[in-house]
Amino acid sequence: MGCGPVRLGRHELTLEPRQAPPAGYTVLTAVAAIVAALALASVLFLSADASPAAAYRAIFSYAFLNPHGLAATVHRSIYLLFCTYAFLVPLRAGLWNIGLPGQVYAGGLAAFAVPLLLWREPPGAPAPAVVIALMIAAAAAAGAAAGGIAGVLRARFQVNEILVTMMLNSILFWVVAYMVKEGGPFMGATAEGESFTLPAPLRAPLWWGVPFTAAAALGAAALLDLLFARAALGYRIRAFGESPAAARYGGVNPAATSLLVFLLGGAFAGLAGYHNFAAIPGVYKIPGNYGYYGDLGFYGMISALIARGSALGAVPIAFLFGGLSLGARFAQGALRLPFGVDYALLGLLMMTFIGSHVLQAFRVVWRRRAAAAPEAVVGGLPGA
Amino acid sequence: MWELAVRSLEVSAILLLAALGELVGQRSGVLNVGLEGLMLFGGTVAFIATQATGNFPLGFAAALAVGALLGCAHGFFSITLRGDQVVSGMGLWILSFGLTTFLGSPYAGPLGLGRIESPAGLPPFFVLGVLLVAAAWFLLYRTGPGLAIRSVGENPAAAEAAGIPVAAIRYLCVVAGGVLAALAGAAYTLSYNPVWNYNFIMGWGFVSLALVFFSMWNPWILLAGASLFGLMWQLSLSPELVLPGILSRYVWRTLPFAITIPILVVISTPWFRTRWGLAKPEALGQPYAKG
Amino acid sequence: MEVVLAARGITKRFPGVLALDRVDLEVPGGEIHAVLGQNGAGKTTLMNVLFGLVQPDEGALFLHGRRVEFRSPHDALTHGIGMVHQTRRLVAAHTVLENIVLGHPRVRGVLSLRDARVEVAALCRRYGVGLDLGARVWQLSEGERQWVEILKALYRGARVLILDEPTSVLTPPEAAALLAGLQAMVRGEGVTALLVTHKLPTVMSACDRVTVLRAGRVVGRLRTAEATEDLLVRYMVGRDVAPGPAGPSGAPGRRVLEVEDLACLGDRGVAALRGVSFALREGEILGIAGVAGNGQEELAQVLAGLRPATAGRVRLDGRDITRLPPVARWALGVGYIPAERTEVASIGAFSLVDNTALTYHFDPAYVRRGLLDDAGLARLTRRIIDGFDVKVPHPYARARQLSGGNLQKMILGRVLSRAPRVLIAHLPTQGLDVEATAFVRAQLREAAAGGAAVVLISEDLDEIVALGDWVAPIYEGRFVAWLGREQADPETVGAMMAGRRREWAAAR
Repeated sequence: MGCGPVRLGRHELTLEPRQAPPAGYTVLTAVAAIVAALALASVLFLSADASPAAAYRAIFSYAFLNPHGLAATVHRSIYLLFCTYAFLVPLRAGLWNIGLPGQVYAGGLAAFAVPLLLWREPPGAPAPAVVIALMIAAAAAAGAAAGGIAGVLRARFQVNEILVTMMLNSILFWVVAYMVKEGGPFMGATAEGESFTLPAPLRAPLWWGVPFTAAAALGAAALLDLLFARAALGYRIRAFGESPAAARYGGVNPAATSLLVFLLGGAFAGLAGYHNFAAIPGVYKIPGNYGYYGDLGFYGMISALIARGSALGAVPIAFLFGGLSLGARFAQGALRLPFGVDYALLGLLMMTFIGSHVLQAFRVVWRRRAAAAPEAVVGGLPGA
Repeated sequence: MWELAVRSLEVSAILLLAALGELVGQRSGVLNVGLEGLMLFGGTVAFIATQATGNFPLGFAAALAVGALLGCAHGFFSITLRGDQVVSGMGLWILSFGLTTFLGSPYAGPLGLGRIESPAGLPPFFVLGVLLVAAAWFLLYRTGPGLAIRSVGENPAAAEAAGIPVAAIRYLCVVAGGVLAALAGAAYTLSYNPVWNYNFIMGWGFVSLALVFFSMWNPWILLAGASLFGLMWQLSLSPELVLPGILSRYVWRTLPFAITIPILVVISTPWFRTRWGLAKPEALGQPYAKG
Repeated sequence: MEVVLAARGITKRFPGVLALDRVDLEVPGGEIHAVLGQNGAGKTTLMNVLFGLVQPDEGALFLHGRRVEFRSPHDALTHGIGMVHQTRRLVAAHTVLENIVLGHPRVRGVLSLRDARVEVAALCRRYGVGLDLGARVWQLSEGERQWVEILKALYRGARVLILDEPTSVLTPPEAAALLAGLQAMVRGEGVTALLVTHKLPTVMSACDRVTVLRAGRVVGRLRTAEATEDLLVRYMVGRDVAPGPAGPSGAPGRRVLEVEDLACLGDRGVAALRGVSFALREGEILGIAGVAGNGQEELAQVLAGLRPATAGRVRLDGRDITRLPPVARWALGVGYIPAERTEVASIGAFSLVDNTALTYHFDPAYVRRGLLDDAGLARLTRRIIDGFDVKVPHPYARARQLSGGNLQKMILGRVLSRAPRVLIAHLPTQGLDVEATAFVRAQLREAAAGGAAVVLISEDLDEIVALGDWVAPIYEGRFVAWLGREQADPETVGAMMAGRRREWAAAR
């Protein structure tokens, strides 16, 4: 089993599959993957003539110690958490939702469509709480609809969900461009390639300086873990993810499951869009660099993978990644680091995740080679 | 109009090269959904090498080397370790997306060298692509190694029993696929649009992947699909040639992607699959354990 | 006669198992030599060693008295040893000719199929094989596929043929034809054949010598002329085996399952089931005998709700369930044991408790306010483990850690724990050892005695005849006949499985 042994003198090195990984190993490999990625990233800093220690000090102190940085880290990790769930739920059913950017855009557009249609300046203004609730519902529904397209096609025709979600990403990217940049209804008054700014009464309420979406994100984590650990519905999703044929045999409806996970995942991505564009203090619009936020959604993919499908496990990971991606941008300016460290980190994390995946499934065995088989002796026949 | 045709063939060539490599890989049973990443990496490395040296051949060589390397990585995970091919492919894509953004951003901007000369006004990579399509068809259907590749993708156990080295064949095909995808990326950044931009490939890798499914694993149909798509892409960039001033140029940009989805639906229907789609390699995506 | 192929002192260990223990084997030329043993006796491992698929830990191989070492099948092939595997090693989508030339050293470069066609056609004539070389393998019958495998080995220049359970998926007439063809080949053309099997009649009727394996060791070698079936059984099992209980399984009661004119499509979109009708009462076992690919698997799937019916009707206790989804059928009392234990009937990565939930996640008794009752499922799993004598350390072990027999007991126990009204069992004893087989059969009988109607689909004629109150041979998607226990002797049923007779005894 495993790959052929690598022979070194009288010793050989093989990878042997593990039957059951030891307890706690999952956490260990997750931590190892993150640490290894950070270690590899220091090579990037060195190549740019920056000291890794100084770079990490700058990144971490801005992201987690500086009050402004910490607030931004929290806001961003909420965004990443919703993206994580959006990827995680379909993944538990064995499906790949890489439509995070598109679903985030759909959620953002829908959230802004509500005030566009309903909001009037006072007097005659509708109750802000109602409009905010509608914005959230619209964002979730739009995300779910974008995800649902992939879900329906997967459920009904077995269309590859990776391709469909990716096509939707490109489509929605250009739709947003049209809406906010070139004559679309969401254009801001200054026409600088941004959407209009959300009226002040419609900004998401803050609890201790943090938008209420934080509570929603944490609550969702607990509910998702409960769903997959205990609920019959979660069991069906897991069974379908492990073996569609066995799940079908056991009475799980494959079409309903595929559709449901994409609706649910898309709704989370829609909420991520709402949070990112309508709830973070100081933003309250769809900015010109919305594509950057869409790409950040892929951090959600990697945190779901590293957390191995546990939503609560993804909370600290998303927090860390939120801080890292933010701090890296800060350090770029402060230490004149090269552009794109946050992207590079994404790639390195993916690489070390796959490495940890291998370590989880295989054991590296280093041992002496068995002595050559002796010439067999032709013995008498064994008695019958 | 001639200009449009040439440009659209240039687009077709890029899609075709990447998809052809993927087709050969899939024929051997290995799915690589990270095509987009390989194209990004190939294009970025080629751009950097060419800009640093002013030498086009060197740029292409660098792309080919990086494509082979990434192909090997995908092979190691999916063939040797028998890991999930989707995990590995997705990993390659995100890895490439992240690293190329970092590596390329100091070089962002135009290449600043002359265009690659094209003989007889034909886009050189399209000519190369057509030649490679013919070669791939001949290889797959008219040679012993081609029969071996198809057998490995259909039933690796049968191939192994007939003395075919399954893992070696799959490695070769996957590496060839990586090389072609990287070449496609290089054709983008050195010839089609010699301006480096982060994530310049913008979903073309996934379109190429869709083209492979659409082609029913036949190189000639792949050529037709890539040609059509190239035309559609180029039209979406200059819609005024067909329908002046009707919709925003951004809305036109969605068209190639929006058309891909119904095509994917049609080729996935039971009707289509039982009638035409039996060509799908039976062992596609499945790791093979010897013995 | 010269010993062509010999193995001396072959030992092979797999993690936790001693598969072969100092095995000696001598195969004289120009004969058919049988290697006989139960499942797990090490027959297949020995064959894989002889063919280079597995390298022995100890021991050596000799060909014509010269020591040889096979590091891969390629080495074995170049030494003139060809293997015909039990599971077909053919590419279904390719033509017969492409399959035969695949891997031949002559097709390294450009394929010249025209030359190859002439050569293979000559080979067919020489050995009296009639095959359409342009046909796709998936269009062929099992018997024809077997000949493709043999031709492939001969085309590669094999003079020693290793055949692993060559008759296991053939109808009795196909098997007889195969063995006759092999005998002609061995006598006339000097080919040597090594037949690996657990079927005594095959050994006694067609082979010259036999080597018996038990638990990885050679326990006997003799000429078949000097052997009897009883003697061989004693060698194989190590003791006398009492015949299983026989006789009708209790008094039949009410009608449970009624099937009318049922039809469906197969995976390739062509009709697989072409109008099947029958009715079963409580306590009755229907044995459906057929060679794989005649619609029996599709019948099981239609009954379980996993494949849509294109025509006809299925009634359970008088209620029409033709259009109900699988989950509703489980709830109403349809129990299904599919042939694919690891792919369909269980989830390897799940614990046994989670596997139990596979048929309980919809059951109000085990779901409260949307949450699964883990404690209840664990208790139920323990009951199944104890009641069905499953050897497993604890109920949270993963299903993939179980051996085939234990897994099948677990699946059977889980399905029976729902007290199904109708039990569909597809190849329930395939690949199990003698004791597990006896256990599974006893459980099927007990389920019938408890009031279930049992549909048993098997390729093992003895099993069908021993268990079935009714026997229905199936051929090309139709029942060839409907036989009562007393009419169903193995010869008749065997001939009908091959489509010999189409006397339709109307369903009751």
